[in-house]
Amino acid sequence: MADYYLPPVTHVIPLTSIRRERVLPVPGTVTVRVNEKVNAAQVVAEAEPVSKHYFLDLARGLGVRENQVSKYLARHEGDRLDEGEVLAGPVGLTRRTVRAPADGRIIAISRGRLLFEARGALLELRAGFPGVVVATDGVNTVSIQTTGTLIQGVWGNGRQDYGVMRIVGESPADRFKTDQIDVNLRGAVLVAGICDDPKPLHQATELAVRGVIVGGLSSSLIPVVQRLPYPVVVLEGFGVRPINPITYSLLNSNVGREVALEAEPARPYERRRPEIIIPHSESRDMSRPDEVIQLTTGLRVRVLRSPYEGEIGTVTLILDRPSVYPSGVSAFSAKVELEGIGAVAVPVANLEILQ
Amino acid sequence: MNNVQEADTLLAVDIGSINTRANLFDVVDGRYRMLATGRASSTTGPPLFDVGEGVHVALEKLQTVTGRHLLDESEELIMPVSNEGTGVDVVVATTTAGPKVRTVLVGLMPGVSLQSVRRLAASTYLEVVTEIGLMDQLREEERIDRILAARPDLILIAGGTDGGASYSILQLVESIGIATSLLRKSKPTRIVFAGNRYLGASVIERFSEQLQVILTPNIRPSLFQEDLAPARTSIAKVIAEVRADHISGFDELERWSNGFIMPAADASGRIVRYLSELYGPDKGVLGIDLGASQTTIAVAFNGTLRVAVNSELGMGASLRGILKHGNIAKIMRWLPVDVSEYRVLDYICNKSLHPHTLPTEMDELHIEYALARQVIHTALSFARQDWPVGKNFQTTLLAPLLEPIIASGGVLGRTPHPGYAALIILDAVQPTGISTLVIDPNNLTPALGVAAGRMPVLPVQVLDSGGYASLGTVVAPVGRAKFGRRILRINLERGGAGQDIIGEINMGQLVVLPLAQGERGRLTLRPEKGIDVGFGGPGRAGALRVAGGAIGLIIDARGRPIVLPKDAERRREMHQKWLRDIGAPG
Repeated sequence: MADYYLPPVTHVIPLTSIRRERVLPVPGTVTVRVNEKVNAAQVVAEAEPVSKHYFLDLARGLGVRENQVSKYLARHEGDRLDEGEVLAGPVGLTRRTVRAPADGRIIAISRGRLLFEARGALLELRAGFPGVVVATDGVNTVSIQTTGTLIQGVWGNGRQDYGVMRIVGESPADRFKTDQIDVNLRGAVLVAGICDDPKPLHQATELAVRGVIVGGLSSSLIPVVQRLPYPVVVLEGFGVRPINPITYSLLNSNVGREVALEAEPARPYERRRPEIIIPHSESRDMSRPDEVIQLTTGLRVRVLRSPYEGEIGTVTLILDRPSVYPSGVSAFSAKVELEGIGAVAVPVANLEILQ
Repeated sequence: MNNVQEADTLLAVDIGSINTRANLFDVVDGRYRMLATGRASSTTGPPLFDVGEGVHVALEKLQTVTGRHLLDESEELIMPVSNEGTGVDVVVATTTAGPKVRTVLVGLMPGVSLQSVRRLAASTYLEVVTEIGLMDQLREEERIDRILAARPDLILIAGGTDGGASYSILQLVESIGIATSLLRKSKPTRIVFAGNRYLGASVIERFSEQLQVILTPNIRPSLFQEDLAPARTSIAKVIAEVRADHISGFDELERWSNGFIMPAADASGRIVRYLSELYGPDKGVLGIDLGASQTTIAVAFNGTLRVAVNSELGMGASLRGILKHGNIAKIMRWLPVDVSEYRVLDYICNKSLHPHTLPTEMDELHIEYALARQVIHTALSFARQDWPVGKNFQTTLLAPLLEPIIASGGVLGRTPHPGYAALIILDAVQPTGISTLVIDPNNLTPALGVAAGRMPVLPVQVLDSGGYASLGTVVAPVGRAKFGRRILRINLERGGAGQDIIGEINMGQLVVLPLAQGERGRLTLRPEKGIDVGFGGPGRAGALRVAGGAIGLIIDARGRPIVLPKDAERRREMHQKWLRDIGAPG
């Protein structure tokens, strides 16, 4: 039992079955059917989130007593109205009326008062990647499935988009610079090594790029990235963190393809992660990736902490006694054969499985 | 099955967001002892979202350590203890894990019911999204929109003393009733009403039948009386329900523990209050739980408990919260090594992405401990705003007299050298006078708190049985003096443990005198004029019995508050010196 560990799993898979749920934050209407093919930009569900409520004093507005209001009502509970339409009235010679303050609907009428709900801007939920609708609850959830490449990251700025992928820079450790961006990259999804300068991000905004994928992002840029209009996916972490060779090679082999960026921010107790989905026209049935994997020898892992932060290797042995590290910390560990470095002991807590 | 009179063996399960611990207690030589701990990674988060796996692994580790069978072939817990000595009699469970409960607070007057309801919310795992009060100058529709925008899991309503205000509170409840009828959520909103108890029926009337309305005794039964305990129990149930919406596996634990898993903050609070009654009225008892997702500060003065759970401050996923409450310089000031601000910022962000990871390099260990100091310091600053007059920040800048100071949490409980934990606490809390520093490495405090309800004798006996690690007694003189000037003369009589120590302490020194765990000595303190060591005023001398610990007897004469050199190089040298003084590697 001492060697029973369930490290976090990050998927970097060339070809797999990918199924993702799209969920409206409020109940609405699902606009697609099961087995329907959808494209990335297609709206799969929509809702009208409430923007504002109004309590309207009808008795006062009409200049009548509370018990007389019902006589002058022009509309009823549940009715939808456009802004300016008459709710109640006219009354008297001056033809006093009470009108809808906005587009919306009547929620309730009671004791001479009317509760009006103004309609907000339509909230549209998009598919995000091309695929097939495999399930829906008809209210706010749609599940879409595709076959393709799946690459998961560690942080995102909360946005989503879809575009043709291009790599900028010469290597996975190259810094993202303004001179790497030109007009040919307009509307593309850019892959860069490390980003520690806001200028190329702003330049990318001007070029209307569809997204940016980086290995490492300087944490001081988080506020800048959160304001960008396009999705940014961080693959490795914060700081000087080049894209690992396996992921870089996979991205490289997919240059020119359309990719979907789901730049989910990392939130505890939520199932969604920032990820890159590259759909393939593959008709074979593929199995979905494992989410829970027990640490065993032979597995490919990534080290999460210094001194081998970001390095990838293979577990060769799970040690049955804790190892002591230069910091003095004692921890249950695994022997990992790191590419280009050799065999090192790493705390199991500092490993994640790269599948 | 869980007959307390017959129960001898207790299993306490504590589920944190990073670690799940299973502690086994049994009677040895007529007294309860903690026998062993099984620890496993928690499985409350992705990918499992099921506490069960972590609990079972912790139990299996406990079985390996003790050689005692706790689970049968079908992985079921054996209850009660069999004739062969397998299994346990009683299970208690506590947790800090799970998403925060989105909460709207409702009260009447800012200084009365709203203040009480805020205090109640701050003492447990609620995320206050918004507040509504009689004096908020909002129109009725604005209140409705505010509730709708909050999408709350819980609306916590207080207001009106018993038999007091009714019209105003019912008016607010009316708006809340309309708002809840308009809430479009897949998960229900719960209402807890803790106001004027004569309004219970009227309050229920104003909500639809589908809505769960929990009536609980008034948290402000009279203008000068506050009673948060019953409402806290109701909120604990709501927290459990919301938690179960996101994480599975709690049902099995509830079955074992006879139906109730207590929030760890409530359970720890019980022990802190109990100790304060035991230690008497002269000093307060302080409990610090530095968790991954939150920091809990529990303090009790003469039996009066204050608990503050700060969900924005933790050493894991919520670590970035520290940057909201101060600039990076406040963290950098605690570093004994030269690292850049950028590296510390990156460290904070990466640690919040991977909260379970451990620092294996010395520089990273120091960054981790600098963050721990600042997190505790900040959480304590917030908590002290609500401490009683004379102890709070509004009336005194310095920490009041506190003894003991009990610290727990993964970062403090597993330092490579006890000196690190001692310095973190001394720097973050800056205690005054005479105190004792205690580490709770296995997070026993919440377990004992919840066990107290079922086996009252157990906590009393376990507290004395070595489950806690004493770091030692601390003497922290307070007063103004030039750096290097003599401020205190000491005489430590060690009895049979070694030679007596007579010496002088100068301002700015951090001195450790040998007094090992289990040893006791008699300490005489003669402070200079203007220097207070807690014997009733400046310059007053006295003697007391002191207990040893993993560090020994610590004389912290660095001044209160500690003033750090502005020059970064000198400051780092100072920290390195203090690390050497306390015996920890730098």
